[in-house]
Amino acid sequence: MSEVFVEISGLKKSFGTLDVLKGIDVTVNRGDVVCIIGPSGSGKSTLLRCVNLLEEPNGGKIVVNGVELTDPDVDIDKARTKIGMVFQSFNLFSHLSVLNNLTVAQRKVLKRGEKEAQQVALRNLERVGLKEKANAMPAQLSGGQQQRVAIARALSMDPEVMLFDEPTSALDPELVGDVLGVMRQLADEGMTMLVVTHEMQFAREVADKVIFMDGGYIVEEGPAAEVIGNPQEERTRTFLRRVLDPTHHGPGDPE
Amino acid sequence: MAMSKRQRAKVFRGVQYGVLIVAIVLLAVFADWGKIQHAFLDFEVAAKLFPNIIVVALKNTIIYSALGFAFGLALGLVLALMKLSSVGPYRWIATAYIEFFRGVPALLVFIAFAYGVPTAFQLRFDTYSTVMLALGIVAGAYMAETIRAGIQAVPKGQIEAARSLGMSASRTMITVVIPQAFRIILPPLTNELIMLTKDSSLIYVIGLAASERELTQFGRQAMNEYRGMTPIVIAGFLYLIITLPLGYLSRHLERRTGGKKVSVV
Repeated sequence: MSEVFVEISGLKKSFGTLDVLKGIDVTVNRGDVVCIIGPSGSGKSTLLRCVNLLEEPNGGKIVVNGVELTDPDVDIDKARTKIGMVFQSFNLFSHLSVLNNLTVAQRKVLKRGEKEAQQVALRNLERVGLKEKANAMPAQLSGGQQQRVAIARALSMDPEVMLFDEPTSALDPELVGDVLGVMRQLADEGMTMLVVTHEMQFAREVADKVIFMDGGYIVEEGPAAEVIGNPQEERTRTFLRRVLDPTHHGPGDPE
Repeated sequence: MAMSKRQRAKVFRGVQYGVLIVAIVLLAVFADWGKIQHAFLDFEVAAKLFPNIIVVALKNTIIYSALGFAFGLALGLVLALMKLSSVGPYRWIATAYIEFFRGVPALLVFIAFAYGVPTAFQLRFDTYSTVMLALGIVAGAYMAETIRAGIQAVPKGQIEAARSLGMSASRTMITVVIPQAFRIILPPLTNELIMLTKDSSLIYVIGLAASERELTQFGRQAMNEYRGMTPIVIAGFLYLIITLPLGYLSRHLERRTGGKKVSVV
C-alpha cells in the first residue's frame, strides 16, 4: 500500500518576478489523502494547480501515475482525464444542465456514448446525493450543491487522483459539512486525494499526511496528528494558533 | 412677489406646455394638410405600391439582411478568434481587417465590391451572393469586436474547468467558451442586426433588377414613377416593422441577462 502515485521534485514556479514555489518535493502514495495547509500566499493553490499543469512550472519534475507531466511532449489532455480537479468557485458550466455538465467531457473527450455517459453521470450524482437535481441548471443550486455536482463531474471521468483547491472556502458555513462529507466518503473508498484546505478538523480526521507550506517552501510535513497536533516549527504553531483560535488573537500580536 | 422654488418650477413648466400647444395649433391651422398629405402619404399612390412593396421589396430587405448577418457572423467569429490567437500574423491580419472595414464607409466597399472585384478577379456572383458578401464583409468587422469582447467576458474558471476535464484548447472553445460568449453578446448582436438591416439600403449601388430591389431602391423607383414622397414614407414604415421588434428583443434579452454590460469597442 505504499506505491508512489504522485511524485513532485524540485518544483519551481514564479509569476513574473514573484517566486511562488521555491523548490517543492512531495510524494503521494496511491490511496492516500494529503492535505496542504498554510497561510494565503504561501503557494499551496499554485502547487495544486501545477499537478495538472493548469500552471506551468518553471522548473522541477511532476510525475503522476508514471507519466511525467513536465515532459514537453506529454499529451496533457489525456493525462488530465485521469486527474480530477475541484475548484474553490465550483466552475460548473453555466450554460449546461447538471446532467450535461457531467456528460459533456465523457462524450467529447472519452468518446463515451450518450447512454453510457448518462448512466455514469447519474451514478455519480447519486454518490453526492443529488440525483434529483440532474435536470436543474447550475444557477438554481446552492453553493454546496454546486460543489457536490462539481465533484460528481470530476468523478464521472473515472480519475485516479482528485485535486481539491479550497473546495469549501466559498461556501456558507452550514453548507460546508455536505461537501466535506462527500470528500470523506471518497477518501474512505480509497481515492488518492490532494486537498488544499483551511478545514483543520477535516485534515486531522481524514488526511494520511499534512503538509504545511509558507513562503513557497514546505515547512513541515507528516501525519496529521503530528503536524496539527504537535507542530515542531514555530511558523506552523503560529499559523495553527491563528486558524484554530482566531478570536484570542489581536491583530498586532507578534508572530 | 417672491415665488418659492417649487412655484417657479410649476410656472416654468406651464409655459413650456403652453408653447407646445400654440405650436401644434398653428401647425394644424396654417399647414396645408392636403398638400402635405399629397406629398408624403398619398393613399392612391400607396395602394399602387402593394403588394410588390411587401412581396418583393420587404422580402428582399429581409433576405439581404439575413444573408449579410449570417456571413458577417461567421466572418466575425473567425476574425475574433484570429484576434485572440497566440499566432502573431493572425492577430495582425485580423486587426488590419477590422480597422480598415470599420473605418471606411460601407458605400465605398459596396461600390468596390460591385465593380472592382468582378473585373480584378474575374469572378461573377449572382446578386444574392454579391449582397451577402458585400454586407457581410463590412458587418463582420463590427461583429468581430463584439464577439471578441464576449469571448473575453467568459470567466476564466470555465476554461480551467474544461481543460481540467481533459478538453483540448479548441474543444474548450467550441464546447464551453463560444456558447457562453454568445449568450453574453446576444443584445449587442441584435443591435448589429438592426444596423445591418438599415445598411442593406446601400446595396442599390451594385445595380439591382426589378425583382431584386429592396425597400429603399424600390421606394426611389416608385418615387420617380408617381412623383411624391409616399413610397419612401411607406418604405420607412416597413423598415420600422423590422427594426422595432428587433430593438424590443434586444432590450428584452438585455434585461434577461441581468443587464450585464459587455464593453464593446
